[in-house]
Formats: sequence, structure tokens, C-alpha cells
Amino acid sequence: MNENIKSGITFGLIGGLLTFLFGGWSVGVLGVLMGIGLGLALGPRFNPRDGWMSLAKQALPAAAASGAILLVLSLLQNYVIDPAIGQNFEDLDVVIPANLVGVVGGILFTCIVTALHGLSEEWERKGKIILLGLVILAFPFVDKFTELRWTAQIIFALIFVILGLGLNIVVGYAGLLDLGYAAFFAIGAYTTGILSSPQHNIFLNFWLVIWIAAGVGAIFGLILGAPTLPLRGDYLAIVTLGFGEIVPVLFRNLIDVTIKEPLTCWILPLFKIQTACITFMSHEDLTAGEKGINPVGRPILPIIKLNEAMGIELVIKIAVLLVALALITFLYIRIWRNGNRKVGSVASYAAIVAAILIVFLPIPRTRVAVFDNVLGIIQPGEFQSDNPIPWYFLIIAIILLSIFLINRLRESRLGRAWMAIREDELAAAQMGIDPVRTKLLAFAMGATFSGFAGAFYAAYIRGIFPSVFDFSASIIILCCVILGGIGNINGVIVGGLALMTADRLFLPALKDFLKGLLDHTVLPALSSNPTLQAAVGQNANPILYRFLLFGLTLVIMMSVRPEGLVPSAQRRMELHAGEESGGTPVAAK
Amino acid sequence: MSAKAKSILRGIVVAAVVLYIAFLLGPIAGFDVPAIAASIQADPKQLIQFLIIGISNGAIIAIIALGYTMVYGIIELINFAHGDVYMIGVFTSLTVLSLTGTLNTNDPVKIILGLALALVVSIASCAMLNATIERLAYRRLRNAPRLAPLISAIGMSFIIENLGLIWASQSWLVPSFGTTGGASQKFFPDLLGTIFTVNGWKVNLFEYFGIPLRFTIKDLLVIVLAVILMVGLYLFVQRTRLGKAMRATAQNRDAAKMLGIDIDRVISATFLIGGGLAGAAGLMAGLYNNTAWWFMGFRAGLESFTAAVLGGIGNITGAMLGGFLIGLLASFSDGYLNARWTHAWVFATLVLVLLFRPSGLLGEQVGQKA
Repeated sequence: MNENIKSGITFGLIGGLLTFLFGGWSVGVLGVLMGIGLGLALGPRFNPRDGWMSLAKQALPAAAASGAILLVLSLLQNYVIDPAIGQNFEDLDVVIPANLVGVVGGILFTCIVTALHGLSEEWERKGKIILLGLVILAFPFVDKFTELRWTAQIIFALIFVILGLGLNIVVGYAGLLDLGYAAFFAIGAYTTGILSSPQHNIFLNFWLVIWIAAGVGAIFGLILGAPTLPLRGDYLAIVTLGFGEIVPVLFRNLIDVTIKEPLTCWILPLFKIQTACITFMSHEDLTAGEKGINPVGRPILPIIKLNEAMGIELVIKIAVLLVALALITFLYIRIWRNGNRKVGSVASYAAIVAAILIVFLPIPRTRVAVFDNVLGIIQPGEFQSDNPIPWYFLIIAIILLSIFLINRLRESRLGRAWMAIREDELAAAQMGIDPVRTKLLAFAMGATFSGFAGAFYAAYIRGIFPSVFDFSASIIILCCVILGGIGNINGVIVGGLALMTADRLFLPALKDFLKGLLDHTVLPALSSNPTLQAAVGQNANPILYRFLLFGLTLVIMMSVRPEGLVPSAQRRMELHAGEESGGTPVAAK
Repeated sequence: MSAKAKSILRGIVVAAVVLYIAFLLGPIAGFDVPAIAASIQADPKQLIQFLIIGISNGAIIAIIALGYTMVYGIIELINFAHGDVYMIGVFTSLTVLSLTGTLNTNDPVKIILGLALALVVSIASCAMLNATIERLAYRRLRNAPRLAPLISAIGMSFIIENLGLIWASQSWLVPSFGTTGGASQKFFPDLLGTIFTVNGWKVNLFEYFGIPLRFTIKDLLVIVLAVILMVGLYLFVQRTRLGKAMRATAQNRDAAKMLGIDIDRVISATFLIGGGLAGAAGLMAGLYNNTAWWFMGFRAGLESFTAAVLGGIGNITGAMLGGFLIGLLASFSDGYLNARWTHAWVFATLVLVLLFRPSGLLGEQVGQKA
């Protein structure tokens, strides 16, 4: 059988088997995603000189094969699996359009993505970005329409993507293995919690707090990074692990803090000198311990209406906003390139700040009417828990900002210094790189992004609990980085999304699926043997095995593919150059 | 003023500032000197009591630390999964005791036989488990960059913790696990106490001598067993052929290979011995602390790693010393500071030792290699 058809069948099987877990409309969404994946896999195999039409035609057989497999499995799911797990099968008015969208969309997107490879390099890149942008933009609305409820879980995955991007600076670029990265996540979250909750009766605006959290994260990156500077390799890793354990213990236990000046309170009285005891703090509850801080304030965005269903209206609002931003960018580039650079950049920065202020700052209700009259679409609104769409776009915006900043950092002098330090600290120091400054900035920059993630997380969950930030969180973030490919932004995004969707989406779905299957099919068959029945029923819960998922990821990746699923170009070249260099991403020695 | 006097003066000033900060912020984490002084004054006997508890706990920590230090000495790897092997030891012994019916009997002979069997099975299975971990997760990475095996070890630790979590929910295996799932702490029956109370002996051995402190049969057993194991290991490494091969491999792996030592075999043997010790520690800890918990390996592992580092990693005597010191630190912190801060104090010790004396108390300058 032809190689392409095989790929098509593989993708069809993956997509089809996933429909077993979710049912309903999932076949439509999965079909399109499968099509894009298959297109990406097929594209590079064809000769781009054949032209895009020819490429699309060449991809057709594989696309058709995947579509056929998907259709068969989806129908099997609906008419065989659903009854077996005790659910009624879907009505035809869902089954027909969902399967149609899945199969036709899958084939269509396979051909489109494959055809992109036939375009010139520049257009191929642009086409991929546009396609990706469309998928990202459309996803939450499709999700809402199809009632799959994936967005809320995807947001968790995206939080870990930001954390992974931050950790990637420390581990991937600077080569410093940090096993306590969750500490900075915790610091970001607790900064947000303390500054915008009833715990201390401080209610700062989220749009301000997120920057403060990033700043505090950076400062703690410096503080916790400084002592580790003389250490290398596994000792460094263990010290960061120690900090990572101490920080949650602090947050857990700072519930009854008394600070007395020791000299006046007991050293002088020891010598029978009577003084007034200076007390700075008496039985203060700083972090609320295990109870956690809640409720944490949520972001407010004028363009989001309070308690109102989202839909086309939001699309229009976002479109207006995007157009405004595009206009500003355009003006900025124009003025900056052609006119007086200084005046131009100041003016455009002012324009950007003004735009951000207009859009983001909360507006007193009295002034809303004015906005309503002017634009007719702007109203103040708080992000709500039951509507994940604004959260989704917020975290996408944070990720885009992070990617932009990290790309700039990596190509800067500092970024190159990080990589030089990673490859050989001694040589780098000889070349005039200051290792102390470079390493400290790596910790600080890495911690900045976890500050963003922490602030978002605190606001999204509305509460912070110390148990979230323990060692396993650090390792899960490390897992995301290693799975995707150390030192590569795309890799980290892929790794974080894959691992966290598996954890947040597939394991719970698999649990429901298995539970249904057991309750309706397997357990009745085992009723003759109650012990076995109980044992099977108890252990067939995939959520119990999530640590196994992360552990296996680390062990298997390290021994089979240490460069990650999506290695950076440099790593790939190193691996092709020869095996003696090892090519393992963690090159710190 | 001479340079020496200057440096002494500077040292005094720094010490004073550090002490002042410790006195100012220490009370937050339980380090409240007046309160500690008052409680020692109120009941000085307690000091000795905490000493006893610390030594017993330290003995268990020391045995686990031996596994860390041996492995680190030979392949310079922090075997992160070692603490979890110890946790598996606890669960193995509990399961053996349950399957042999020892948990439900009051017959001293049966209990002792059951305990002996549990000890053997626990040692054997933990040794096998540790060697398997080495075979699966570390052997391939022996020539990889140093952090690759560490990451692999962390992954292994997660896998074994998950195994423990599943194990702790198997109530068909051990009925006392109950139906609440594997996440909660499980009870490990106090079998030694049972033997004593059934026969009408005093559990607290000091009662025979009229000393108003508690030194139970459990303390005695843990300390005696620990000393036997440590001395045995020391003799093994110093006197036997395999022990000599281990020391040779630790000094220079390539040279040892050239002299005809089968490196893989020696490393496997090291892991076997380390795992066996962890298995023994598992049974002892279960009997002593009367709990079994899937997550206990993580904390015990880090405490004993701290002990190994404190004593000088790679150094067997150092690991024993470090184990007792960490046991004492934890026990005094539990008693006089505040139990909820003990974890942080142990970690602070680890961080301070690694920063200021990475070679440990008895170690050579291995820190430079790290």
C-alpha cells in the first residue's frame, strides 16, 4: 500500500477513535483537525514544483481514505458504542451534519493544507498563519455551537503553554534545569490573589495586577536565582527543587504571622532593661493557608456584555477592535519608517497606550451611555466563569505577546548569551559574557512569564490553593517542555497542548467512556465473581493514572527521542551531523 | 588595623546581622528563641525524648540515604525514584502481612514469622524493582548528558508513585485499605506493640528501669536493625570482591572496565543493594510510624537525599551521619519549632549545604564535579 494512504488511514483511525470518547458533534471538529494534521504530514512529501492544484489532487486518495475511516468509526461509535456505554444514540439531525462536516471538512482541509506546500515559500508561510489564525479564532465559537465544552479545558492547556514557554527560557535557552518552576507560578498567582481579593481588602484592577504579578515574578526569579549561581547540573536542579518546595510551604503556613523586633522585645528585657516592645505584625493571616484565597477579582473588559450570550455580536466587536489595532500598527510603521523617528514612535506609543486604555480600563457606568451612543457596541462587562470565550481570547493574547517577547529576547544579545552559556559556560565567559548577569536574567525572564500565567490562573479559577503549586506542577511543566522539544517555541506549544489536553480532556472523557462501558457491558458480565467485579470497577479509572502519563512521557522521551517531538532546527542539524555529540537537548554539563 | 582583625570584625558584623534577621523573621517559621527556651526550661526531659525520636527516625532516613549515596558514588546520578522504592517497600510488607494473615493474629510466633517473611519479600522485591528501574530508565542514558538521566529518574519516580496510588486502593489485597481510594493515608498495624501487650510486657522499655521517658520496642528494633544493616553494608563494601569492584567503578569507570570489571553488573548490584536497603527501611518505617501512604516516598526521599548530601554524597559513613542529623533536625523541629514548618527547614538545610559545602561534612570535593 502506498505510504500516503497509510498516513491517511492512521489519521482517520486517530480521529475516529477519539470520537468514541466524545460522541455527538465531535466528529465534525475532529475531522477538520485531522484533515489539517494529515495535510501537514503529507505536504512535505510531494514535490512543490508540481503546483498547488496538482498537490491537492495527489493528496486526494489519502484524504478520502482518512475520511472513509472516520465515517465508519463515527457511525460505529453512534450505533454500537453508544448503546454499549448506556447512552442513547444521537438523532439524525446531528449525525448527518456532523459526519458531513467531519468527512467533507477533513478531505477539504487535507487538500488545502497540502496545496499550501505548492505555493512559494512566503505564501506558504502566510497561508499557514492565516489557517492557524482561523482555527484559533473559530475554535471557541464552534465549540460553543457544538456543545462539546472543550474551551474551558483548552484554557488550562494554554496556561501550561505559557508556563512551558517561560520554563523554556531557563531550561531550553540557558540550559539551567529548574525543578521548582511552579514556585514562580505560585508567586504570580498569590500576588494576584493578595492584590485583588477580600483577603486584604485590596481590589486592584486585573489589567494592572497582571503586570505587577509579572514584575514580582521577575524579582523573585532574581532572588531565588541568585543563590544557585555557583551551582551546576544536578545540584542546581536540586536547589531549585528545594526552593520550589519551600515556597508552597510558605504560602500554606503564613496564616498567623507575628513579627516582633527582637532587641526591644526580649534581648533587652533579658538584661532587665525595660523597653516598649515594637511589634510590626501581630497574628496576621497573609495567605489564608489551605483554605486558599478567594474570590480573586476578575478582568473587566468594556466590550464584553454582562451576562449575555456570546455570539456573532462578539465577533463583530473583536473585528472592530482588530481593525483599530491594525490601523494603529499601520500608522506606527508608516510614521516610524518615513517620518521623524523619535516623534513618530512617541506618537504611536501614545496612540497604542490610549487605545489600550480606552479598551481595557473599566468605565464607570455613567459614562457607558456615551460609549453606547458613539459606538453602539461597547458596554462594561466582567469575565464570567460560565463563559470561557473571553478567557480564551485573553489567554491567546497573552500567549501571542509572550511568543513575540520571547522571540525578540532569543534573537537579542541576551538570548545569544544564554545559548552560549548553555553550550559552554567557561568558553562563553572567556568571550566576555557575564555568566552571573546572564543566568540571573534567564531566571528573571522565565519567572516573568509564569507571573502572567499565575495572574491569569488566579483570576480564571477565582481562587488559589497552595496544593496546586507543589512539585508535581513543576514536573508537569517540565514534561510539556521536554515532550515538545527543549529550546523550541513551537515544540513547547505543541507539547503543552498535547500533554495537557490529554490530561484535561482525554483522560476525563476516557473515564466517562470506560465507566459507561463497565456499568452497562463489562460489569454485568462479571457478576459471577464479585471480587473481580469490584477490582475491575475500582481500577478502570484513567484519572488515577495521570502521574503515569507524565512519568512515562519523561522516561520515554529521554531514552527514545530526547530532542522532543518538534525539535528546533539547530537540534535536528546536530542530530544529523553525528551521534557522537549526543544531541540531547539538555546539554548542560 | 590588620587585615586579619578586619576580616574577623567583618565576620562578627555579618554574624550579628544574620542572627538579628533570624530572630526577627524566625518566629514566623517557628524559630522563636524565647518560646523554645521557655519550653526547654519547663520540661528538660523532653529534650532527651526528642533525641530518642530523632535517632529512631534518623536510622530509617540513614538507611534510605545509603541507597542514594551508593548510586551517586558510582554513576553520579540522583536516583530520584529511590524514595518511592522505599514507599513500595512499605506497601509490599503490608501486603505480605495481610496475605499471610499476620494482621489478624495475636500469636507472637506467627507475627514474628510473618514479619520475617515480610522483611525478606520486601527486600527482595525492592531490590528487583530498583535494578529494573536502572535497566529500563538509566542504562541507555549512561553516556547521555548528565541531566538526561535525572529527568528520566524523575519520570520513574512519578511512575512508581502512581503504582503506589493504585496499590493503596486495592482493598481486595489488603482489606484495611478500605474503599476510600488510594489517595488517603493508610494504617499500618502496630504489630510489635501487639506482641508486647498480648504477653503483658511493657511496650515502653524504660518503664522497667523507672526512667520517665518513652523508649519503645519499636525504637529499639529500628535502631538495632539499622545499625546491623549499616555495619553489614560497610563491611561488604570494604571487604568483599564485589565491594572492591564497586569502589573501583566509583573512582574511575573506564579504568575499572579496563581491569576487567563488568561495569553493568557492578552497577546493577549497587542498585540491587540500594533497593534492598530501601525495602528493609520500608518495613521498619511502617512498623515505626504506622502509616502507609503513596506519597510518603517523595518526602522521605528528599529527606534522605538531604542526609546523603549533608554527610557527603558518595560517602557511606557520611550518609549514616547525615541520616541521624536530619532525623534529629526533623524531630527537634517537630517538637520545638512547628511541625508544619519541618519540611521547609529540611529543605533549607539542603539548600544551605549545597550552597556552602556541597562536599558535605565528610565528603571529598565531589561538589566540583557537579
